[in-house]
Amino acid sequence: MPGLFEGFVGRHRKGVTLTVLIALSLVFLLVSNRAVAIKPKEVGLSFVGFFQKGFTGLFGWFGDTAGSIRQLNAAREELETAREKLQEMDRVTRDIVELRRQNAMLREELDFAQTLPADRIACEVIARDSDNLFSTVTINKGSRQGVRPGMPVVAYQGDMEGLVGKVLSVGPGASQILPLYDPQCFVSARLDSTRDEGLVKGEGKDHGTVLLQYVKKTAKNAIQYGDLVVTSGLGGLYPKGINLGRVREIKALAYETSLEIEVEPIVNFDRLEYVFLMNEESVPVVDLPDTPAASARSSAPETAPRPAATRGASGQ
Amino acid sequence: MNRDVRVTVSTVIALAVCILLQSTILNRIAIRGVRPDLALIVLVFVSMRRGSMVGQVSGFAAGIFEDLMNVSPLGFHSLMRTLIGYLYGIFAGNVFIDPFLMPMVLTVIATVLKGLLSGVISAIFGIASSGFITFTGRLWIEVAYNGVLAPFLFALLGLFRVFKQADKEGA
Repeated sequence: MPGLFEGFVGRHRKGVTLTVLIALSLVFLLVSNRAVAIKPKEVGLSFVGFFQKGFTGLFGWFGDTAGSIRQLNAAREELETAREKLQEMDRVTRDIVELRRQNAMLREELDFAQTLPADRIACEVIARDSDNLFSTVTINKGSRQGVRPGMPVVAYQGDMEGLVGKVLSVGPGASQILPLYDPQCFVSARLDSTRDEGLVKGEGKDHGTVLLQYVKKTAKNAIQYGDLVVTSGLGGLYPKGINLGRVREIKALAYETSLEIEVEPIVNFDRLEYVFLMNEESVPVVDLPDTPAASARSSAPETAPRPAATRGASGQ
Repeated sequence: MNRDVRVTVSTVIALAVCILLQSTILNRIAIRGVRPDLALIVLVFVSMRRGSMVGQVSGFAAGIFEDLMNVSPLGFHSLMRTLIGYLYGIFAGNVFIDPFLMPMVLTVIATVLKGLLSGVISAIFGIASSGFITFTGRLWIEVAYNGVLAPFLFALLGLFRVFKQADKEGA
């Protein structure tokens, strides 16, 4: 009997090895992916659903392409209008630059502190996920430096502080961050101008875009393109008032009771080099009522002091 | 040491180096956040040269390494790369590989296959990966990127004696 078995294994060496390797991978998958509970009907549904989504996506792509041609003509007209507005904005921008310069000088004269809160941990981005299927970011600090899972992560780009994501897993000398645009990342948020609340969810399919959901449809006319979206502080994980992004597109789908708002994150994840982990102590305490004035104060990092070493991605 | 074992060990090392490069310096040449999958190109090359056994074992080992390094559940990449290594190994010695066109074609097919496998595995096991959703966007960028790089990487790997073509029985 053992001879028969050895003979079979000898004859089908490659097939047996393949079976063993696949079985090992499946066992690892089942053990490490704890969320899964294999039920034949659900597996079948998922399997077929994958192809159904593929077909829908493919035909949707053709539909979108045809629609894009129509939109192109409309965009041409909008371009002319935008050019005129741009000239006006250019003049305003020059004024702002001058005001900022004056503001910096006055701050210097008043001897304002130009440092970050001490209880933020500065980290360098050392790696990303090796495959394009997942989207974690690895940083050079771990539990030895006081990093804990769930810590909010922010970065400075240009003149603004923006949310990067949260710490997912921690090793002794390195940690992994779940970025904002990952489909597993959810952040309770609100529109800074209208104070409408919603939930920001990573889209994942396109680099760097996130979706603000569950904003009531009645708010549609009040929301403007470019409006700032900030964390609402609900849920307790992310502190209130951190910048998330700006409104890029507003969709009011007929079959949905709420709006779907596409938000362009403040942080450009392509250019992320340095990030800051927020300790609980560094979370700003905002106990003012939700008034536009209060929110402006809690979410105005454009004028907040920045650390000296914040080349964090400003064009590096 | 047995020739196949030597090739497998060398391939696993080459794949591990590629995976490390992908997670670090290749981010600088990412297009819309998409990096080329050098490890996949190496796996295709070695499997087509040395057969299924070397292809599947190296694919499995490199996949486990990748799973340990990344956020993906253990077994995700190992399953994908084992299957790709095995499938390409079947054709070892039976396909003429010219310096330009075949490396591109083989790599493009492998990348689409990777997209298909990742989608099926993610769907069955309920894994929320941000990758190749409904076969649009990112997948096609990676397909083009890998296809363009394949002839150069094939030429480079062809210089190494350890990856020399197997005899017909190795296939």
